Amino acid sequence: MPGTAFAASTPSIIPGVTEDPRELFLRWQRHGDASARDALVKRFMPLARSLARRYGRSSEPFEDLLQVASLGLLKAMDRYDVERGHPFQSFAVPTILGEMRRYFRDSGWAVHVPRGAQERALKVRDAQERMANERGHAPTANQLAEYLELDGEDVIDALQAIQAYETVSLDAPRPGADDDAGAAYVDLIGGEDERYELVELDVTVSSVLGHLPPRERLILKMRFVEDLTQTEIAERIGISQMQVSRLLRRSLDQLRALTHEPGEAR
Amino acid sequence: MAAIPNVRLSLSSKAENVLLVRQALSGMAETIALDPIELNDVSTAVSEACNNVVMHAYDGEAGPLEVDISLLPSGLEIAVRDHGVGIRPNESDREQFAGGIGIPVIRALAQEVHFDDLSGTGTEVRMRFDVTSAPTLEPAEEEDAPAPLPNADAPIASADLLRFTVGPPPLARAVVPRVLAALAARAYFSTDRISDTQLLADAIVAQAQGSLTTSSLSVEVELQPRDLKLRIGPLGPGQGEAVLQAATVDGMGPMLERLSDSHEIATSGGLETLNLHLSDVR
Repeated sequence: MPGTAFAASTPSIIPGVTEDPRELFLRWQRHGDASARDALVKRFMPLARSLARRYGRSSEPFEDLLQVASLGLLKAMDRYDVERGHPFQSFAVPTILGEMRRYFRDSGWAVHVPRGAQERALKVRDAQERMANERGHAPTANQLAEYLELDGEDVIDALQAIQAYETVSLDAPRPGADDDAGAAYVDLIGGEDERYELVELDVTVSSVLGHLPPRERLILKMRFVEDLTQTEIAERIGISQMQVSRLLRRSLDQLRALTHEPGEAR
Repeated sequence: MAAIPNVRLSLSSKAENVLLVRQALSGMAETIALDPIELNDVSTAVSEACNNVVMHAYDGEAGPLEVDISLLPSGLEIAVRDHGVGIRPNESDREQFAGGIGIPVIRALAQEVHFDDLSGTGTEVRMRFDVTSAPTLEPAEEEDAPAPLPNADAPIASADLLRFTVGPPPLARAVVPRVLAALAARAYFSTDRISDTQLLADAIVAQAQGSLTTSSLSVEVELQPRDLKLRIGPLGPGQGEAVLQAATVDGMGPMLERLSDSHEIATSGGLETLNLHLSDVR
């Protein structure tokens, strides 16, 4: 919000909160005046909201984060010492952030991929497939963001998450597989692998390439010899483009590791 | 002791570039197995410092935004610099009174913050973060000074141009593909081409390793809609060709050529850069 940061501090232009916060703190803390407390909440809620938005970064539902930030605000209002002369904000910001940190710790945020992020990665993967089918070519990140009403950065993070967390894309149910419970990508891949064994590769299977499973060899060949797009490969094999992307990435990493000893400059 | 940064991003102070800084931080976090909550702290504080440059340093215009990320034995040091008038120490108090929360957020999340006035040439916010997972990478050494692509010192003046330098290789492996994928997304590439860009970045990082004249890899990117131009270096004499050849998958030809639309090797001052052009035309 350009321009707001250096705006004059008083008087507040928000209706109903024109009173001196110092007075309000004294009335609330010394006399338990609930109306003073309400006025303070009203006045500083934008601070809590703004911190929830900045610190939470969308991995959790915003409403949950706002609730936690509000709780932090209430704690800060109880503990703030008016007499010390520091502005309330410099005391409230660490208190509210501390509350949000605690919430992340308690919800296992540090150990697991945040649930919200996982769900979003799946949504992005599914939308990618749907849009590619409808249009006949892969969508852009912006189109995905628009379609899913997400922030562009969320889509970029989701694309990264799919690369990083194998289980996200592999163990998740296929779209529209409700009546077909348990049909995950892994099962289909397992079933189709036998068919790949029968595919004649015209690619010379060098000793290095031979280390890869037939399906991975086929995908490499489709991309680099036949010059198919990842979406076209995905359609032919019956997996998602995101998975083609991940398999290509992993296969190429493996090939590099097999070809070059670490540190060898070639 | 002036530590050489592991990552240096030279950007234009456009709001969309702050995302690239976060992507670089995420890549770094992956490399050193940083706790996600600590990453969130670092990312939030650094974003605040960058946003401040975006909003205040150049009076509504765009100018250079530089971010240095250094791994320390016990944590991270991150410097955010502008060549204008960003945060000044004496203004930080005023800002607190005035209702801004950028500075209080940075102070709350970093263990140490310094605001430096770069004697008329800009402002620097230097933040130190202690982290529980001790960085597993060696801090960059003196001789690893980012010495980089020709013209690397020219300030970034255009919103469509940016430069970044990353080392050592394990960090480059995590950071370069992330940053380039984010740029491909911004250039309206399809998800197919975004993934191709990652594959290309993986190959560059892996193959350039032995061909660089420093242990840091520098990439300059010129971005247009559906079009990315990359300059990669600094490579030793004859090494541009070596990188292209090394990135060959048996029976499938040279990958960098397959993944890019065109390439050339440019020579300047005895050093080479590998220039790759990627587009997404449908």
